[in-house]
Amino acid sequence: MVPPVTRDAELINDLYNVILIFAVVVFVLVEGLLIYSVVKFRRRSADEMPQQIHGSRTLELAWTIIPAIVIAVIFGLAVDTMGRMTARGTLSNPVAHVHAINDVAARQRVERAQPVDLVIEVTGRQWVWQYKYPGGDGVTTSEELIVPANKNIRLDMTAADVIHAWWMPELGPMIYVNPGEMSYVWFNVPPGDYIGQCNVYCGVAHARMISKVKALPQAEYDEWYAQQAAASSAPTRPGDPKAGKNIFMNGACIACHYIEGTKAQGKVAPRDLTNFATYPTIAQLDGFENNAENLVKWLRDPQAVKPGTAMPNLNLKAQEIEDLVAYLLTLK
Amino acid sequence: MASISIPIPLRERAKSGVLGWLATVDHKKIGIMYMVMSFAFFIAAGLMALLIRLQLAAPNLQVVDPNTYNQLFTMHGSVMIFLFTIPMLVGGFGNYFVPLMIGARDVAFPRLNAFSFWITLGAGLVMLIGFLFGARSDAAWTAYVPYSTKSFSPTVGMDIWLMGVILLGIGSTLGAVNFLVTVYSMRAPGMTAWRIPMFVWAMATTAGMVLLATPVLTAALLMLVADRNFNTQFFTTNRVQLWQHMFWFYSHPAVYIMILPAMGIISEVIPVFSRKPLFGLRAVVISTVLIGLLGFTTWVHHMFVSGVDPAIERFFMFTTMVIAVPTGVKVFNWLATLWGGSLNFKTPLLMCLGFLATFVIGGISGVMQGAIPIDQYVHNSYFVVAHFHYVLFGGSVFGIFAALYYWGPKITGRMFDEKLGKLHFWLMMIGFNVTFFPMHFLGLQGMPRRIATYDPGRGWELGNLIATIGAFLLAFSVLIFIINAIKLRHGEPAGNDPWEGNTLEWSTASPPPEYNFREIPTVESDRPLFDERMRMPQL
Ligand code: HEM
Ligand SMILES: [Cu+2]
Repeated sequence: MVPPVTRDAELINDLYNVILIFAVVVFVLVEGLLIYSVVKFRRRSADEMPQQIHGSRTLELAWTIIPAIVIAVIFGLAVDTMGRMTARGTLSNPVAHVHAINDVAARQRVERAQPVDLVIEVTGRQWVWQYKYPGGDGVTTSEELIVPANKNIRLDMTAADVIHAWWMPELGPMIYVNPGEMSYVWFNVPPGDYIGQCNVYCGVAHARMISKVKALPQAEYDEWYAQQAAASSAPTRPGDPKAGKNIFMNGACIACHYIEGTKAQGKVAPRDLTNFATYPTIAQLDGFENNAENLVKWLRDPQAVKPGTAMPNLNLKAQEIEDLVAYLLTLK
Repeated sequence: MASISIPIPLRERAKSGVLGWLATVDHKKIGIMYMVMSFAFFIAAGLMALLIRLQLAAPNLQVVDPNTYNQLFTMHGSVMIFLFTIPMLVGGFGNYFVPLMIGARDVAFPRLNAFSFWITLGAGLVMLIGFLFGARSDAAWTAYVPYSTKSFSPTVGMDIWLMGVILLGIGSTLGAVNFLVTVYSMRAPGMTAWRIPMFVWAMATTAGMVLLATPVLTAALLMLVADRNFNTQFFTTNRVQLWQHMFWFYSHPAVYIMILPAMGIISEVIPVFSRKPLFGLRAVVISTVLIGLLGFTTWVHHMFVSGVDPAIERFFMFTTMVIAVPTGVKVFNWLATLWGGSLNFKTPLLMCLGFLATFVIGGISGVMQGAIPIDQYVHNSYFVVAHFHYVLFGGSVFGIFAALYYWGPKITGRMFDEKLGKLHFWLMMIGFNVTFFPMHFLGLQGMPRRIATYDPGRGWELGNLIATIGAFLLAFSVLIFIINAIKLRHGEPAGNDPWEGNTLEWSTASPPPEYNFREIPTVESDRPLFDERMRMPQL
């Protein structure tokens, strides 16, 4: 296993090592008996007739009862480990599920479960993890989660589309992140970079849904956070989504594009724009990430970005482009 | 072994030629068609596996694009399970040998039997033709919602996959009814419960499981079809676990549907090649039935990290581990059968030894994963891929090859080439372990399953390269089997009973005549032919 860095991961690792000893013993026993029989009891002559033994009650009882005891011991060890993983809080598991996002009572149980220094909201979507920091500074990150080291962190996770799973082998237990539900994970790690991956198949780019955690010493973290907060409170782009919608619905866009519940019912463009803002890329173009800058480039001259695309250059004005960008990014 | 004469039923004489095959209701011909069909699917799914392994041989390869890769592993898994292992064991060997082993002239409902085959073949062709023409599903063989719903898998490939699996379910449910009635009501005189051959016990248990489990899967699939096409809301408004419960309620037992018949085969072959009775016959029968029952109590172990109530999880952790006990009993009984025997290392026995040696590893890693904290680490990782291939390949496929080498002479009347058979065994044994053993480590190193590629620097390069080399060795060994099968035409005539078998199928000609036995045999022990041989004057 990868070297554990949290107490939960350590507990899992210890359990694994103990069970591995049982496993090796059983393996050696069975393979040993097998090899011994194969070597010892080969047929010597064509008419050799071994003793016809039909069974033995004692032996059979022995190899029912002894494995049953071994199994009971392993079961006990596993339950014990689960108990210890819980001992930190009142929750039954260091990872937890709540089956409805609005289940207040369950949510309170989670809140009481462990002392927590920082809570981060996580959304898993095809194919990226997005992190939202508390405090109303609008700090968000995607792909990399940056946390203060040696602090109790709780992740409040849900999925925007399909099931994903949070798996960071060094940090402890894995958990599914289901749409319409909440999953919680607690961890506390020394400074360092940790890497893991989405662990439920979630579509084309599932292999690229990497999760990274970067734990910084408190001072560095504070510095990083201040920077982010300043950046996000800086004036946003100049576009007006209402004006953008207007341009979209009264311009050439609707001839080709489809947006549910609007008069844009075109079917020429391959992708429906209803949830455009959730798409990872623009025009299904590898590496052309869906963000405001790229969207500006695209609207200014689609042919330059994706030669041969069916979308023509609409000769939009700069302000029109900004408004359209603002509108398109509201389509979630 | 006394015999009694039961008149051969009046039925128009079998037609010969192509029409004879198409119109046949003879359980043996249907069995052969199942075997040929499933073997063809095995080759297809094996080729997909090679592509999968090629893509993963090194980091960031682009042998196929990620979309195609995802369709490939979806189809590989679906075909291996639904179109190869289950039809081969149940439809192929079950059909051919259950009536012969219980001294019957056919199955209870021959026409229904033919119908089951054609519906299975039809479903398989639908799935595969859809695949070849680009209507591909990519939702993995588990088809978890919401990924498999219309919003995320809008393509018709998903619907084709669903229709295919539904039809397969119908075929196998009907087949199961047929087996149960056949074994219940058509045994030769004197074949009491404890004299029923192990393979037949295994098939009957399997049929019972199919009957209980398959309708649940079929219901789930129909609900998904309705969600996708008729705007119902079974899986869209409910919690995502509903699908998982219904799916695994079938698919966990399905693992035993794939392994019990193979265990039955092993229990037939080892005694014959050791010249000893099966050690503790009754314990083996009881453990078979117990595994069949317990198989229905473990499905939640597939959902330990998906959000099931922790108290329920503990219960299922317990049942999951308990099932290892009857399985262990079987393993030790087989070892005790070998012990003190007179072992004749023909290919069928080698395949059984391969089964034993590798299945144990799958069993052990199964118990390890059964522990919830361990599962919270290895779930959905390559450790799991290693584990289930040790069970399904190391178990079922070795069992299937044991059966092909053991019963091939009965079916064709010709002997396989032993040299090629042994070469096949050794290459397969080595290739198999080289392919799948490193996957344990890959999983422990954090490699998830179902990823189309990976970046360098995570410590996965070597293991993947080795696994890919192993896969090609494995494929090569299967090629040797195919050559051996082609050469079978010119093989030595087998005679009725080349291996000194114990069970009734060896008392009739090879290949058996249309109605199996000229006279229905009477049975006086669990090894009728062994007794017969012992009574014969020594020549
Ligand atoms: C020819 C030898 C085989 C090779 C090299 C092979 C290889 C693989 C690999 C590498 C995967 C993992 C794909 C992934 O998760 O990324 C896989 C998946 C799988 N294999 Fe095999 N396999 C072989 C034979 C079999 C057999 C005989 C069976 C069953 C009887 C089987 C059943 C499955 C199943 C059920 C999956 C899971 C598919 C999914 O994730 O949806 N395989 N195989
Ligand atoms: Cu994901």
